[in-house]
Amino acid sequence: MNKSEEYRVVLFYSTSAAIKAESLAKKENLVVKLIPVPRNLSSDCGICLLFRSQDKLVIEDLLNRGKIEYENIYPI
Amino acid sequence: MWEKFLKSRKQIIFTGVFIGVFAALLQRWGNPPNMGICVACMLRDISGALGLHRVGVVQYLRPEIIGFVLGSLISALAYKEFKPRGGSAPIIRFILGFWAMVGALVFLGCPWRTLLRLAGGDANAFFGLAGLVVGIWIGVFFLKAGYNLGRYQRSSSFIGWIMPVIMVGILLLLIFKPHLPSGVVFFSIQGPGSQHAPIFLALLIAMVIGFLAQRTRFCTVAAVRDIIIIKDTYLFTGVMSLLLAALISNLILGQFNFGFQDQPIAHNNQLWNFGGMVLAGLAFTLAGGCPGRQLFLSGEGDADATIFVIGMIIGAGFAHNFDLTSSPNGPGRWGPAAVIIGLIICMIIGFSMSDQFRKKREA
Repeated sequence: MNKSEEYRVVLFYSTSAAIKAESLAKKENLVVKLIPVPRNLSSDCGICLLFRSQDKLVIEDLLNRGKIEYENIYPI
Repeated sequence: MWEKFLKSRKQIIFTGVFIGVFAALLQRWGNPPNMGICVACMLRDISGALGLHRVGVVQYLRPEIIGFVLGSLISALAYKEFKPRGGSAPIIRFILGFWAMVGALVFLGCPWRTLLRLAGGDANAFFGLAGLVVGIWIGVFFLKAGYNLGRYQRSSSFIGWIMPVIMVGILLLLIFKPHLPSGVVFFSIQGPGSQHAPIFLALLIAMVIGFLAQRTRFCTVAAVRDIIIIKDTYLFTGVMSLLLAALISNLILGQFNFGFQDQPIAHNNQLWNFGGMVLAGLAFTLAGGCPGRQLFLSGEGDADATIFVIGMIIGAGFAHNFDLTSSPNGPGRWGPAAVIIGLIICMIIGFSMSDQFRKKREA
């Protein structure tokens, strides 16, 4: 992860969806990381997927193709 | 480096320290030994007070539980996070709450009390803690296999108010202490149920804890889960703060007594101290959080967490009525068998709700 780049997070409805999304993204060689849901975004104690803003369309496509329901995508 | 670390985590550390210090003080002010706060024990006492079990020494309407929910509610309303929701496999959540309680009552404590027992010098709790970690680890195996209970649905605000209203009802029963012909409301006149801190002091402290925990997402089970899955120690910092603060407070208050023998409200059958908490840890992980966390979630409108808590209250009634719970003499007659049955049921839930195994069946 590079500090000069912009990142976004995807919030999911379950921990397992986040884990599944991470494994799909890694298969596509995308730079992603599972992190705790930022406190300002949700009161959930779950985990979410961090990715580079430039990969937003690829990530969205990946989630749709993998049929992974997600709550929302936020810039951080 | 330390300064940066502490600054980024000051809220979760403060929450842990607050819980640890005031758990020790609540004990000084009247709560049972090493039980300044125990979500499982306190729900069990409520279950008894309402007559769902008739064990005379563990019946009291614990204001701490009421405070947790109402404190979380106030925080959620103040910060616009009150989010009425539900519909994520409620019956499964009920069953998980039921068996989590059975496991906790075989060990004699929830994850919070596991830490508080350690902080009081009760070495038997090491086995409970080990069981808890193993249970969470098994739960993580299911999470990695695609375990999920389906997404929740946003709902009308009425759904979100159910738990807070139940809690206000329990508070009124506690204040007015009605005595019905059936005998309810029951209040212990001896044993742990008769030991309690002043009502409004306990309520106030618990409300502050509920408020802080809602803000920080404090959760003992997610703390371990996050270390296993994403190697993140944010929540774990809070848990360690609780343990250390309670330990230091107990040393200062003269409440520390190290050993395996004659520990208060505990037994030293280590196999079932361990086994009980494997069951509880697994059930908590499959439900997404420790019992404290479930109370805080229910305060911010989560009806699924409410169902889990009701499952725990009913589970406590069954556990005592069917002799599943432990006493200082050791596990109840059917406690070990219940733990095994509970583990099997939780495993079936884990497998049947996991994508990997669902796909295999459908193939």
